[in-house]
Amino acid sequence: MPSQTAALPPPVRVVLGLGVLVAFAALGEGLMRLLHWPLPGSVVGMVLLWAALGLRLVRLDWIEPAADGVLGVLGLLFIPATVGAVQFLGAGAAWGLWLLVLLAGLLLGAGVAGLLAARLVRADDGGAK
Amino acid sequence: MIWLALTLLTFALGVVLQLRFRSPLLNPTLLATVLVGGLLLLTRTPYPTYTQATEPISAFLAPAVVALAVPLYRLRALLARQWRALLLGGAAGTLVGVGVDTLLPRALNLSLEAQRALSTAPATSPVALQLAHITGAPAALAATLAVLSGLLGALVLPAFLTLLGVRHPLARGLALGAVAHGIGTARAREEGDLTGAASSIGMGLAALVVTLVVALRG
Repeated sequence: MPSQTAALPPPVRVVLGLGVLVAFAALGEGLMRLLHWPLPGSVVGMVLLWAALGLRLVRLDWIEPAADGVLGVLGLLFIPATVGAVQFLGAGAAWGLWLLVLLAGLLLGAGVAGLLAARLVRADDGGAK
Repeated sequence: MIWLALTLLTFALGVVLQLRFRSPLLNPTLLATVLVGGLLLLTRTPYPTYTQATEPISAFLAPAVVALAVPLYRLRALLARQWRALLLGGAAGTLVGVGVDTLLPRALNLSLEAQRALSTAPATSPVALQLAHITGAPAALAATLAVLSGLLGALVLPAFLTLLGVRHPLARGLALGAVAHGIGTARAREEGDLTGAASSIGMGLAALVVTLVVALRG
């Protein structure tokens, strides 16, 4: 069945997609409030959307333009938060230690992920030796 | 209003420069943060004034986190075929990353604020930001450390993985996404489509794993 969504003007498709994405964030938040679980509503909404896509309750073309749009400028969306780092410039030398912690976490985490995945990967993809 | 404009424009400038010089380190988020942050300091504008002015941008954070389901769904065939490598490798890598970022700050006796903010760094910045409400970390610090983790990862991890002998594109991409999320994924895409796809999966799973760790510890 050809999708009716594809016939919509592009800005309207973005609006429709944003509506669905925000609705899932709201759903996730409502659910967590109901269950008294300390999870961010948006992460729960992501899992719910993943499931809804898999169950064909939500069609990819409803949300595709909006999802690609927000993910395409993801780096913009948290600038208002990262600018707040100016409040922590006073920490001075501690930043060096923080970076050291991050580096240790990156090397150990990526090392484990890379080595384990390389061992478990099935031979039929990529094939790079 | 001017702060909203400056944030949008410095980010766009960062993207232009990044396309021109093709370096993942010339990161638009970092550039905009440094420029706008510098201007705040110069003009002695209080940070709350700035956050209020840029609320329209922050409104898109929640839908963006929800949208992370889209790459996971699009890559379902790859995920189904390679679920052992991707799920186990990604979850184990992110868990180790979170473990180090939680325990090492404690061992080093860092400030409580830093301890809380560091513990979510393997998750993509918008997720780290949402988790800050739960961990009690200063949101700005949690978001910034997550960005720095991504940048640092994009810088050091490709060579490090080669050093370890990790050559398969799926394994390399997954490792980058599992701890260096968005910026690591941008770097992974430079190595090829499969590496980029695996990194997107790693980043999506990392968001879930870090969230679960925070919730279970809470």
